[in-house]
Amino acid sequence: MSDAPSRVTPVAVSSTSTLVSKTGCWKYIRPIYQDGVAPCNEACPVGIDIEGYLNLLREDRIDEACDLLVRENPMPAITGRVCPHPCETPCNRRPFDEAVAVHAIERMLGDRVLETPVKRPARTSCASVAVVGSGPAGLACAYHAARLGYAVTVFEAAQEAGGMLRAGIPEYRLPRAVLDQQIAWLRAYGITIECGVRVGTDVPWWSVLGAFDAVFLGFGAQQSKALAIPGEKLAGVESGLDFLRKVNAGARPSLGQRVVVVGGGNTAIDCARTALRLGAEATVLYRRTRAEMPAIPDEVDEAEREGVRFVFLAAPIRLLSSDGRVQAIECQRMQLGEPDASGRRAPAPVEGARFTVPADTVLSAIGESVDLESLPGEIERVPAGLLTGEYGETTRAAVFAGGDMAQQPRTVADALGAGKRAAIGIDQYLRLITGRPLEGPGTAALRYGRRGNLSMTRWRGDDPIRRASPVNQVVRYEDLNISHFVHAPRAGDGRLDIGESRQGFGEVNRGLSSDAALDEARRCLNCGVCNRCDLCLVFCPDAAISRDDGGYAVAMEYCKGCGVCAEECPRGAIVMTREGL
Amino acid sequence: MGNHAVSWGARLARVEVISAYPITPQTQVVEELSEMCADGRLGARFIKVESEHSAMAACIGASAVGARAFTATSSQGLALMHEMLHWAANGRHPVVMANINRALGPGWNIWTDQSDSLSQRDTGWVQLYCETNQEVLDSTIIAFKLAETLDLPVMVVLDAFYLSHTAEPVDIPEQEVVDDFLPPRQARYQLDVREPRSFGALVKPDAYMEMRWQLQEAMLRAPAVLEEIEADWAQGCGRRYGVVETYRAEDAELLLVTSGTVTSTARFVVDQLREGGEAVGLVKVKMFRPFPSAAMRDAVAGAARVAVLDRNLSPGRGGIFAEELRAALYAGNGFPRPEVYGYVVGLGGRDVTPEVIEDIVRRTWQAQGPEREDLWVGLNL
Repeated sequence: MSDAPSRVTPVAVSSTSTLVSKTGCWKYIRPIYQDGVAPCNEACPVGIDIEGYLNLLREDRIDEACDLLVRENPMPAITGRVCPHPCETPCNRRPFDEAVAVHAIERMLGDRVLETPVKRPARTSCASVAVVGSGPAGLACAYHAARLGYAVTVFEAAQEAGGMLRAGIPEYRLPRAVLDQQIAWLRAYGITIECGVRVGTDVPWWSVLGAFDAVFLGFGAQQSKALAIPGEKLAGVESGLDFLRKVNAGARPSLGQRVVVVGGGNTAIDCARTALRLGAEATVLYRRTRAEMPAIPDEVDEAEREGVRFVFLAAPIRLLSSDGRVQAIECQRMQLGEPDASGRRAPAPVEGARFTVPADTVLSAIGESVDLESLPGEIERVPAGLLTGEYGETTRAAVFAGGDMAQQPRTVADALGAGKRAAIGIDQYLRLITGRPLEGPGTAALRYGRRGNLSMTRWRGDDPIRRASPVNQVVRYEDLNISHFVHAPRAGDGRLDIGESRQGFGEVNRGLSSDAALDEARRCLNCGVCNRCDLCLVFCPDAAISRDDGGYAVAMEYCKGCGVCAEECPRGAIVMTREGL
Repeated sequence: MGNHAVSWGARLARVEVISAYPITPQTQVVEELSEMCADGRLGARFIKVESEHSAMAACIGASAVGARAFTATSSQGLALMHEMLHWAANGRHPVVMANINRALGPGWNIWTDQSDSLSQRDTGWVQLYCETNQEVLDSTIIAFKLAETLDLPVMVVLDAFYLSHTAEPVDIPEQEVVDDFLPPRQARYQLDVREPRSFGALVKPDAYMEMRWQLQEAMLRAPAVLEEIEADWAQGCGRRYGVVETYRAEDAELLLVTSGTVTSTARFVVDQLREGGEAVGLVKVKMFRPFPSAAMRDAVAGAARVAVLDRNLSPGRGGIFAEELRAALYAGNGFPRPEVYGYVVGLGGRDVTPEVIEDIVRRTWQAQGPEREDLWVGLNL
């Protein structure tokens, strides 16, 4: 260095640190940490904070993940097995590589919940709630009402609780042991379930409506729709639902060699796969094509793998007999025409094209309807069942309804979601009449995103997760900065091989091991939600971001509003807002 | 090859950070260095970057924390670095860079031409031009010492292909010799997180000029400092080059002024013409920035005519070495002022053969003073 006789240093070096330079005064926009809603949460009919529990699992906080899950869903061991996981459809991981296998993770957590001791909630209200029907809707309503501090009694007409979970879902999809454990868990939770009591027959409606402060109706859709074609009364023709109910109760009826199932929904697929397991050949007749089948696509694929035959565009028109027993089914060949009210293309007959399919047993599975005959008449009906509002409220005060008997999709998850909504409605109602009204945030704020189900956590206001100025906005794939993510394959469920699965009623889907499920949880992108990845802190050119109380703090006197943090945030959890607004 | 001489020089100098972006004809320099880093022969951090601008920025950052930093580039790459070259010099970062002289496009041309480095003459970098691969290796090591003594960045310059891709025997000094000559860097100012300070921030009119004056003072010391350093180097390995070298110039009436590999050809021509009795000599310019005005005035003082061979062009002016020499001769009163003939030769890698140089000598003898400032040689119009 030259020995220049100068007071000025040869290089431009400050005498203090740059902390004296308050670069924050340059900015006209500033970053805000703003947690949004992951698309899975909005898509879940139950209204589970899926992203939330996956994030906890990422940090190996398994017990907290279980807790967050059961705040919304009382039976994850069951939904983890039978839910068609609509949450995985909009998963932002799908356009990146493959959706996160949420169902398998939920199942692992659900099994874990059943193995841990139950914490019975305290009763905090003098009011009591009756639930009619112990299917998923009724049990969900009962569970949430109990959690909200009410005494709950469930009335079940059958000898065992579970509703359609027990009667309709075959054991190879939902083992009885899991269902029984789940019912025992709910009983231990403090819910009284009275089996063998059909309200309207064994006890009159007026006594239930009078003895309880609120009543939830969730007795489902139990009546098989008739085929309404000649020959329906022949021996060997049966309702698919009755057939499943018998087999699921342990019966092993003889079906003959050829079983034909009419219908395209889950009941039809369950019937066909059950018939296979009883040693028959099973054929499914459906009047539209595979694309229009309402059944869960995975179940259809599974049925096909096991050897179920499908005859599409076939509408039964007559049952043929020999000695009073069904022998064949005559079908009309159909073709698809214009879309109907459901948006699906309506089948129309192909003139003169008829054919017969031989059958020793015919099972009808073209849908179920709600039996409302015994119900008091002043509760208003709609074609699908009862007229209900956002909280499941019917037209009669203190009476709520949901599940298959209301106008909603007929899945376990939708039923669980309806039960929860009704519990919130009941809580609002009972707080009002017991003089403890609660000004809730309203359905728009309780809902995940714009179309999701209501969140019990939001209703109770006891979210254990720290959220930075949350907004109820669903984060799209375009909002993510995918350059920070690494591709990883989706974990596939373990499965019984076909030879073994057809032999009996053993559970076909074996799920994932705990470790595999935890690894799978780490594939979650945590869309829209800060998971403390530190990238904002790393990228901030002013070093203005620091870790703070489980989140981040921005030193606004130094943040110059460059927006690099928001740009780099992998999950779109930082937004830039204009100063002074 | 000359490129590997650069790499070996950098390795012997124990550089700590290398950041570079590949460009023909520089590529082997960093290829070899990256292999040295990969196989452990050199314990430096090799930073891959997306552009030459970033390469220099990374070197500046490394230098700011006290590391010995090196890069190499050429032509368009050097042009892209331009802003950072000022930063390195004004920040007094002793970065060393090898620049392989290559013409600037378009027309696209990968061959030798000094216009790339000479375009950067006002950035505050010391520039050392090399004649042989041995000089390349030695100069790379010497450059670090010069840079760190003066806190100035130094550019070692070599011709594309004539040096960069041409093999010739090079004596590689022992590491101990180099270690004795060039101890680890002791930075006078450096970034230190324990005592945070801002480097290169705002300097107002009350101090900026003083900083520039200090930069200029350091620059003006460079010729003398280089002579001292080379004397030191010569003790270890017996070789020195000089800021300006004169060759058979004692009684010469006509002097050729050259730089780079043209010098070797000119030496050959001078030898031949001397055999024929012509009083012709040679001045080789090694240091172009700072321009060694005093040494150049001394070197040409006895001649009547000086023919400067410029493998470069400042459009609208002419050859840059000639221009600088003329300016040096007019920097004061009383200097002997020979006629300066500025020849523009060998642009874009065109060969400068002995015949070309003989032709220049003949034209210079015959001329009645320079016809114009730029005298073009070998144009096919």
